[in-house]
Parts: sequence; structure tokens; C-alpha cells
Amino acid sequence: MTFSRREFLKAGLAGSLAVGGGGLLSACGTGDTIKAFTTSTAGKPRYGGTLRAGLTGGSTADTLDPVSAITNVDFSRIDNLYEPLIGLTPDAQPVYVLAEEVTPNAKATEWTIRVKQGITFHNGKTLTADDVIYTFQQILNPKTPGSAAAGLASIDLKGMTKLDAYTARIPCSTPFATLAEALAIPGYSDIIPVGYDLSAPAGTGPFKVKSFSPGTQSTFVRYDGYWQPGLPYLDEIVITDYSDQTSQVNALLAGQVDVVNLLSADVISEVQGEGKNILLSAGGGWNPFTMRVDTGTFSDVRIRQAMRLVVDRQQMLDLVFGGFGTVGNDLFGIWAPEYDHSLPQRHQDLDQARFLLKAAGAEDLRVTLVTSDIAQGTVLAAQVFAQQASGAGVTVNVDDVTVDEFYGTNYLKWQFAQDYWFYNFYLPQVSLATLPTASFNETHWDNSRYNSLYAQAIATTDTSLRTELAHEMQQLEYNEGGYIIPFFPPVIDGFGTNVGGLVPSKSGLSLGAYDFKNVWLS
Amino acid sequence: MTTATEATERAGPTSKAARRHPIRDLVIKRSLIGILTLVLVSILIFAATQTLPGNAASAVLLNTATPQRLHALEVQLGLTRPAVDQYWTWLVGVLHGNFGKSLANGQPVSTLIGGRILNSLVLVVLAGAIGTLIGVGLGVLAAARRDSVFDHVLSVVALAVTALPEFVVAVVLVIFFAAVVIHWFPAVSVFAPGTPPWSNPRELVLPVATLVIVVVPYVFRMMRASMIDALESDYVQMAQLKGVPKWRILLFHALPNAIAPTIQVIGLTFLYLAGGVVVVEYLFNYPGLGQALVGAVSDRDIPQIQAIVLVLAAFYIAVNILTDVIALAVSPRRRLPRS
Repeated sequence: MTFSRREFLKAGLAGSLAVGGGGLLSACGTGDTIKAFTTSTAGKPRYGGTLRAGLTGGSTADTLDPVSAITNVDFSRIDNLYEPLIGLTPDAQPVYVLAEEVTPNAKATEWTIRVKQGITFHNGKTLTADDVIYTFQQILNPKTPGSAAAGLASIDLKGMTKLDAYTARIPCSTPFATLAEALAIPGYSDIIPVGYDLSAPAGTGPFKVKSFSPGTQSTFVRYDGYWQPGLPYLDEIVITDYSDQTSQVNALLAGQVDVVNLLSADVISEVQGEGKNILLSAGGGWNPFTMRVDTGTFSDVRIRQAMRLVVDRQQMLDLVFGGFGTVGNDLFGIWAPEYDHSLPQRHQDLDQARFLLKAAGAEDLRVTLVTSDIAQGTVLAAQVFAQQASGAGVTVNVDDVTVDEFYGTNYLKWQFAQDYWFYNFYLPQVSLATLPTASFNETHWDNSRYNSLYAQAIATTDTSLRTELAHEMQQLEYNEGGYIIPFFPPVIDGFGTNVGGLVPSKSGLSLGAYDFKNVWLS
Repeated sequence: MTTATEATERAGPTSKAARRHPIRDLVIKRSLIGILTLVLVSILIFAATQTLPGNAASAVLLNTATPQRLHALEVQLGLTRPAVDQYWTWLVGVLHGNFGKSLANGQPVSTLIGGRILNSLVLVVLAGAIGTLIGVGLGVLAAARRDSVFDHVLSVVALAVTALPEFVVAVVLVIFFAAVVIHWFPAVSVFAPGTPPWSNPRELVLPVATLVIVVVPYVFRMMRASMIDALESDYVQMAQLKGVPKWRILLFHALPNAIAPTIQVIGLTFLYLAGGVVVVEYLFNYPGLGQALVGAVSDRDIPQIQAIVLVLAAFYIAVNILTDVIALAVSPRRRLPRS
């Protein structure tokens, strides 16, 4: 069934072209409210101008190296400097970008990647298969593994070969039917040229770097040799780092910046009241509570289920994100074709929670929830959780630690904590989070039935069979898993009335996944 | 307030040379103590950063911090070496004029904070100078018209402003002059790295104004009080009886005697400003030292934290010495030993 997979990707490509050409508004999960937020008055696309972006989330640790990029704001630069083989449409579907074809063999043990011809890097080099192989070597370098290394670990580094100038054969040490999906995750698999030099970073993206001061300001200029006809519209982008939302919003209101990212819901009315626009995206990112299923309190499935039942998901969204965002059902990968929408939505049920706790002999349960300001609203969500859990007689002690302690040596070992993820497809997410071999198995979930279902799913190119297998896996997570996924947070950004072409992205990244090539200024 | 007198007492009667050059002796002695203080501060800061859980590696890697990546980065950054060893390497580097490289991005600390030192200094000096002039001027006027409506209004307003934290002042200024009511000035101070702050004077207005508003009341109240003391003194009454014009009495008889205690307050004002800029820089996104320090602490970037704290501490010490020197210079009788 290789054919159907190809068709799937091609269909995605068509979708992307429509977006690239017309600035199409994507239909979002939560419907009409969101569209009302994204009306732009900037008129028809126009060339020229400098887009001034005021972004929070940056620090002096920011990098232009796509291999080691991590934070949301890193992607604001990287997504405009570099391009991946496969990208995501605003609707979170995969779409060819630099690749012309990405196809597996029947057993999904070997992939053929052919890149488009006539694409050049900022340093003048033509994109070839060598660059693809080089990029994978950098990402998977065992000494300095890149951010995407965990998700691409099945690639057999030594076996990669070049078939012709534009085609590479990528063998996998284990079946890896989801390579294409894994490559499509924003910012993690951008192609860099052979001999890439971070001091003069060259990509194929619509903008070239002009200056970069980490945590302060960076400027980018139009790349005249960009391969997509007619793009980009802007001459220049200036990204200024903001340490605080207050100054960021003030700058937007005073007209000092054109776009701002990562706003909280409580400034929406202020921004709109002053005549500026809000870009509201139904993100597919997820901020779970993580319960360790292997040891301690949460090794009892009844206690885990009780904890899932104490959550009033809509109330949590109301309190943390002003009611925006999407209610979750303790499952991840919401936009993935395999996401099981048929499982009943879990609601708060304090009686059932009390019943389960009593059955588990844990009526007066006391637990510590380790939280940190790792993503928007995490600490507040933890406090809301503690409040809601008290309804079932559970005492939750919220332990707010610093971000570096949270991600220090205890990370992935906390008994009960939180985390954040950007959107990922279902099976690639499983490979990162819920397999015994996963690099980020923070719940220590290791279910033999689940593991064997995954092994079957990852080895088949038949999408309908894969969906069937994935549904059974989700059934197991839904009934026994260690994640509480109460919501998919919204992404709230602001932009001036002069800005056109911004499209909400379901990726969980801000400002239409920072797709500035389609943005213009009136 | 006490530093000048104490220092004089200590530096005063030690030797004949001290009597002849009290200011030189004070500068030498206090500089030596200052250097010792800097070393102690650096040890203290280093020790403090070591006791915190987590480190620069986890601050950089965030949710991609698998044990392998964490370990690889810790080794790369030299964080696995013993703490004393790390400190010693750093200290030797500093003695060679090398403040090390940022743990967050590998750039030399000196290039990261060099421009920011200038930016913050411009902010502190401008706010301090303007605040001092306004405070002294208003203090003199209020004392000259003691118990007038002008005096009472100023005193009440000064008291009220003293009660406002700087972030409230900043937010009110931004609402009125930048973001909501009128758009005269930029709401945030953004200028490209490498350009000096004075090339963008408009960007400086609101941050400087915030700091000026915060510091003026202190200088004003001190100046008013000491001016009133001076105006009640015998020599002023004598001058009045002799028919010296009022402005002459104020500027040439009372002010020189009233300024000495105020100089200490002005010194304290500058010290306060060195810390107060942190909040203001944060609110106005002003690319100064304070903002860099906030970022460096959350990145756990020890070399950068060390360098910034040392710069701030050195500024404290320098201002203290300078204040005492000026206080000595303007009050000749303090230069004599009290026997």
C-alpha cells in the first residue's frame, strides 16, 4: 500500500500550495469563534517593508542551529532560515517542502528521499542528496545528538547511500513506517548544506540572517534566490526579544512592533480594545500531567483513573486560558489521522473518583505535584488541579521549582509532574513518550500489548491497518495510561492592522508557525 | 549617612601623612577593601549558584534533556568538574582580563555585556543627574518658602510618590504617554545591539523619567530638611541682618553647608539606581545589565552572572568611595581629626 501513503502526502502538498498562494484561512477545530479573531484588514499581498516582531520566550541560550533548536522562539528564526524535507500545513497535515518524493519500501525498512531540483542555499550551494545525508548525520551524531535524534533513532546512519545527485536511500535498523511524519515536525529536521558553518548559517529558507544577538535582537533579509515563485513579500524581519508580556503588549499598542507571540488570554480584550488583532490558533501542543505508572502511588491504575476523573477540563481551560483551547481526553496527537475520536469524552466524576480511591485504599491520598513555569499556564493548571482534586478528598501539594531544576537530573523521574510538547503525529509521539525505549517516557509506561501493537503499526505501510492498531493502543492509554491530558492549549498571538497573510497553525507554534514568507505589510 | 564620618574617624588620626592627605588615604584604603569585597562577592555568588538544583545544561536543553544529552552538554560546558576547580579557572581567567564564555551560547561574556554596561550606565547617570538637580532645586525652593502652600503640596506629593514602587510609576507613564492615552514616546526601549543609547533619545525618555520620579522625593526631602537647618543657623541670620539678598543667602551661605548630608543621599540614590534599573529595564525591555542579569539567572549562566554582579558590586564600591570623597571635599572641618 505504498501508493496510498504517497497519495496522502501529495494531497497534503496541494493543500499547502493553496495556502501559499492565497493566504487561506484554515478551518479550526473550535470553529467560528476563532475565525472572528483572525480577520486582517491588510488587503492584498504587497511587496517590501520590514516586519517587526516582539517575541517572548527567548534567552541568551537561543540558537540559529536547526539541529539543536528547542524553544518556540528559536523556531521563529529557524523556520525562516531553513526548510525541512516535509513540512506541516496550517491544518497540521504533512506536505512536501524540499522533498519531491519520500517513499518507503513495502516493509518500511528503507526510505527513498528525492529532493526538488534547482533549490539553492544562501551560500550558493545547490541542494542535493548529499545535504540530506549530511543533515541526518548531524542530527544523529552520537556525541552531540540533535533535538530530533530521539525521533529519528531508527535511521541506520552508516547505511545511507546516494542513488543519484538528488536521491538518497535511507535504510532503517528497525521498521520505520512513520519517517515521513517524524520529519514533518516543525523545526526538528531542517536541511543544512554539507560543511554547514554556524557562524555563517546557510539554509534554503526565504530569509537570510543579517545579524543575531541571542536574547536581544536578530535581523533577517529577503533571500532573492528563494525557490518558491513570488515569495517572500517582506524585505526584512527584525525579531526583538521581550522578557515580559507587559512590555510586549505595550510595544504592540504603541505601534513599535507589528506582531507579538505567546499572549495570555487576559490581554485579548486590551489588545482588541486598542484596535489591534488577535491571532488565535487551536494548537495541537499538549501540556500533560505525568504520573509514573511503574512505582509509588500511581502504580495502582485505580488511583491513576481517579486522578483523571477529578479534572474538570472545561473549568481548567476557563481558568488557565480564558476558555480558549480544546478539551483533551487523556490522549495525544489530536490532529493525527489515527487519533481516536470515538472514545467517550472523559468528564469530572468525583463520586467515581472517590469510589476508585476507596477501592485502592487511598481515601486520604496526599501527593506532591512538581510544577514549573515551563510553558504558558503550567503552574496555574497545577494549582487548578490541586483545587479540583480536593473535591475528591485528595490533597495535592504543588511544588513549584525552577525550570532548570525541573529539567535537571530528576527530569523523567518525577513521580507526578507536568511537561509540554508541541504537536506531533500519533506514532512518532509514541516512539518518544510511551515506549520502554522512548527517550522521554516520563510516565514509565511499559505495556507489552501496547508495545507489540506499536511494533506492528510501525512496520506496516497500510494506513488503515495502522489506524486500527493505533486505536487499540489509545484504548489502552485511555484506560490505564499515566498521562492526564486535560486540554490542548490555545496559541494566542497579536498583530497590527497593517499585517496580512498570518494563518493560524495547529502545530502549537506561534504566529502561524512563524511562516513569515507568506506575510505582507500594507 | 554614617559612612563618611566613620571613614574619617578611621582614616583620620592614624599618622602624619593621614592628616596631610586624608582623601588620598581614604581612596587607597577603601579601594583595597573594595577589591577584597569583590573577591568575596564572587565566591559568594559562585557558591550560591552551586547550591541551586539544576544547572546551565538543563536550562538550555529544557524538555529535550534526556540523560545522555544532559551529560554530553554538562561535559562540554565543564560542569562535571569539581566546583573549586571551576571557580579557580574562572578566577585565573578574570585576573588575565578574561571573563570567560557564556554557558548559554558560548560567546565571550565581555562582548555580551560590554554594550549593556554602557546602556545601563547611561540610564543610571542620566536619571541620577536629572533627579539630583530637580531634587536639590525643589528642596532649596521648598525650604526657602517653608510652610507655604508650595512647600506643603510638594512635601505631600513627595511622600505619596515615595510610597509608589517603580513598576507602578512605569506602568502609569506608559499608559499615559505611550500606549493608551497619547502616543508621544515609545512604550519600550528597543535599539539595535551596537548602537549607543544616546542615538535614540526618544527611547530613553520614559525609563529615565520613571527613575527620576522615584528618586527625586528622597533627594528633595533630605535637601529641604538640611536647608531648613542651615537657614535657621546663626550665620544665615547674620547675613540677613546685614541685608544680603535672599538668593545670595540661599546659594552662597546656606546651600554649601546644607549640601553635605544631601551628598550622602545622592550617593545612596545612585546605589539604589544601580539596582532599580533591573525592574525598569525589564518593564521597558531596555537592553541593559539588569535585563541581562535576569536572563542569565534563569539560564544559570554562571560566568555571565559573575561578571554582571561584579560590575554592579564595583559600581557600588566606587560610588561609596566617591560619595565619601566629595563629602570630605565639601566639608573642610570633617577633614580634621577629632581630638
